[in-house]
Amino acid sequence: MTLSLVAVDYSRPIQPIFMQKPRVGTVHSVFRKAVNITHDSTILALLSDELPRMPNSVRLRSVVTDELLPNLRPGMEVMVGNDRLAIPTCNFSFDLPDTSAWEPRPNVSAYAWHRETVTRHTRLLAQFFAQKQYEGGLAPLIGSLFLEQPPQETPLSRMAMPNLRLLAQASWQQNIVGIEEATLGLAGLGPGLTPSGDDVLGGFAAIMALLSPQLSADSISRKHIASTITTVAKPRTTKLSGILLEYASRGEVSEQFGTLLLTLSYPIEASETLLKAADRVLAFGASSGGDTLLGMLLGLRALEGEID
Amino acid sequence: MVIRALLKRNTYYDSITLMSVAQAAKDLPGVEDIGAVMATEVNLELLLNANLMPAAFLAEQQTPPSSEDLLIVVRAIDEAHAEVALTVAEERLTSRGDRDASNRGETLPARSLEMALKRDGAANLAVISVAGEHAWLEAEQALRCGMHVFLFSDNVPVEQEKRLKALAISKDLLLMGPDCGTAIINGVGLGFSNVVPRGSIGIVGASGTGMQQLICLIAAAGMGISQAIGTGGRDLSEAIGGVMMRRGLELLANDEQTEVIVLVSKPPAERVASEILAAAQITKPVVVVFLGAASERFAAEAGDARMARTLTEGAELAVSLAGGDRRRIQGKDALNKYDLAKERAKLAPSQHYIRALYSGGTLCDEAMLLLSEQLGPIASNIPLLPEWALAAGETFRGHTALDLGSDEFTRGRPHPMIDPTISLQYLASAAEDPETAVILLDIVLGYCAQQNPASVYAPAIVQAREKAKVAGRWLPVIISLCGTEGDPQRLSMQRTALEAAGAMVYESNEIAARAAALLVGKA
Repeated sequence: MTLSLVAVDYSRPIQPIFMQKPRVGTVHSVFRKAVNITHDSTILALLSDELPRMPNSVRLRSVVTDELLPNLRPGMEVMVGNDRLAIPTCNFSFDLPDTSAWEPRPNVSAYAWHRETVTRHTRLLAQFFAQKQYEGGLAPLIGSLFLEQPPQETPLSRMAMPNLRLLAQASWQQNIVGIEEATLGLAGLGPGLTPSGDDVLGGFAAIMALLSPQLSADSISRKHIASTITTVAKPRTTKLSGILLEYASRGEVSEQFGTLLLTLSYPIEASETLLKAADRVLAFGASSGGDTLLGMLLGLRALEGEID
Repeated sequence: MVIRALLKRNTYYDSITLMSVAQAAKDLPGVEDIGAVMATEVNLELLLNANLMPAAFLAEQQTPPSSEDLLIVVRAIDEAHAEVALTVAEERLTSRGDRDASNRGETLPARSLEMALKRDGAANLAVISVAGEHAWLEAEQALRCGMHVFLFSDNVPVEQEKRLKALAISKDLLLMGPDCGTAIINGVGLGFSNVVPRGSIGIVGASGTGMQQLICLIAAAGMGISQAIGTGGRDLSEAIGGVMMRRGLELLANDEQTEVIVLVSKPPAERVASEILAAAQITKPVVVVFLGAASERFAAEAGDARMARTLTEGAELAVSLAGGDRRRIQGKDALNKYDLAKERAKLAPSQHYIRALYSGGTLCDEAMLLLSEQLGPIASNIPLLPEWALAAGETFRGHTALDLGSDEFTRGRPHPMIDPTISLQYLASAAEDPETAVILLDIVLGYCAQQNPASVYAPAIVQAREKAKVAGRWLPVIISLCGTEGDPQRLSMQRTALEAAGAMVYESNEIAARAAALLVGKA
């Protein structure tokens, strides 16, 4: 007997995959609370509902994922289509709920954006993050990038620093060659299943895609920079990372990151809310959260104008 | 030096797993460095720059590694150590997966001591937090079952305390309490406790927030706690006689992990203090913080024990004796952290007095001791001298320090460390008083404390300062922030939010009090 269930929720970008006729995918990777499934050219993430939503996620009740995930192995066949996902080996399937899909692109146009407020939030966040202790990744560079603290001398930071500076500078100047060069140096760089450099690029690309029209000091949109980053980075990193970068370049981001981006529009007095939202992003993964935040700060800085 | 590698094709682990596996292998003897990365082109360059490039290994591969492959590289002093490190890394990757898979299943909480003991016969400590009038019964039952007791409940009659402690001693057990706020036993925090590493400094304390301040300052110096044994606030009274502090001291004296012992209490009964100091003449270094007791009073009896005047001084001494760097504890240099002279210059002529609002009784005591030395009488609900007591209905009188965690403020409502409503009320009323020159308040982080104190204090501080500004006054707010980075509330997050609200934040209560005194004392 096949056990059939209904998912808790799902994100809008993966809806078309479920609407097609059933097609075969495979289990890509299995974690304690999540499983990635490759399907055609994309990757679906089945998550426990204890985890925040992702642009490519379908969430199931944690009691379901707790039972299911230990039985899954990479390479297992998965059928997706007709509003259902089935894993025949495990006699398991679920349907999408009747509720509408979750939208991973924050509705930035519904908020009032003031450059000066966002600049002050950016300064506060830089100071906040610079005080943190990080385990690996590129987030420890926040102090040297934003607060003129001495740079860390590690092979990772030596490789990343010039490219991070170049990325911000070239993005302000709309220097596509510079952006490509910086992206080549950062894509696939560092520890993690989504390497640190990619997480930085993801945070940066999301800012360009979502907020450059509102926040650029010269009032010029830089959305195209997000696409450039993804096009250059995708062939040089892991498949999962490349797909998440694609989402970011369209402004589609994780639930916590989207909340943080909207919080940037809040008045200065809401600093506590801002820091709380930032802390939630920071808690994501071992270094992914911090790296994404570094990318976000760098993107916001790039929109402020010329960098010394 | 050799470099060895392991390639796992199409293999994916989350970053936290990879990092912990790399750290475990790196900690092995003979291992110089390790990298665990996805084999992207840039990461191969990174390995080269880090002197971790497994060139020969990669040349042997029939198919070059791709971005989807996990590459683990070890640089070790020789072949054997490198092989061991790779084996450990692989084993850790495998076993972690198994552990995650089996980490399921839920159990309902036990609803009685018997049920808990049936489920886990190995449990040997009971945490009791029931209404005071019933607490002794539960405590006695636990002691008779051979369990140590952490008795959080207050309002236990002193006769019961004496009887329970005698029973505990007869059974070679600890009775921590009653009204015991804090303990850390074998690395597990009980009651209001902070997240700190384990280490070589042991504490026995008759003061909850006093212990928390010591623990947090010691952690700030990068040192850890072996055990922190609470005794209950009355233990060093004449009636109880310091029974549990002596027992705690004896346990720590025989504890292999403990190298330095700190004893902390509010002013003890003189006879009891003498007995404790006599018991402290042991081979291990002992630091004694009897707040309010003049060092010279016990100079003759202190012997080998080091007497400290303040909690910060006690932490500094303990850290030094344990081989740490006392300079990492926030000391008097921190007074330069903010421009106090500038703050002082902005005060209006009507602003003369400190208004200190404390949730921790010991921290309040310490502040009053330091402030009274420089400023004279400090009015309070827990006065240092009877004549400094606030009269009924009086909120502030001159320099004032309030212990808002004492019974008259907490009857029928949660302690201000849990629910800061009362603190916020007094903050607002202090801010409205034109004679208030500076507001000094404590915020204690850790388990059981309010989940995010800055979220309520920061807007209240902004509002208080704004109101004062409208009335033509500049209102400095100084916060004594007691916590650690590992605490659920995160020290840095709280500090940043509070500073953003305009507060001056110190992690040493002593320094916070000294800063307040500098704002109102003689120039």
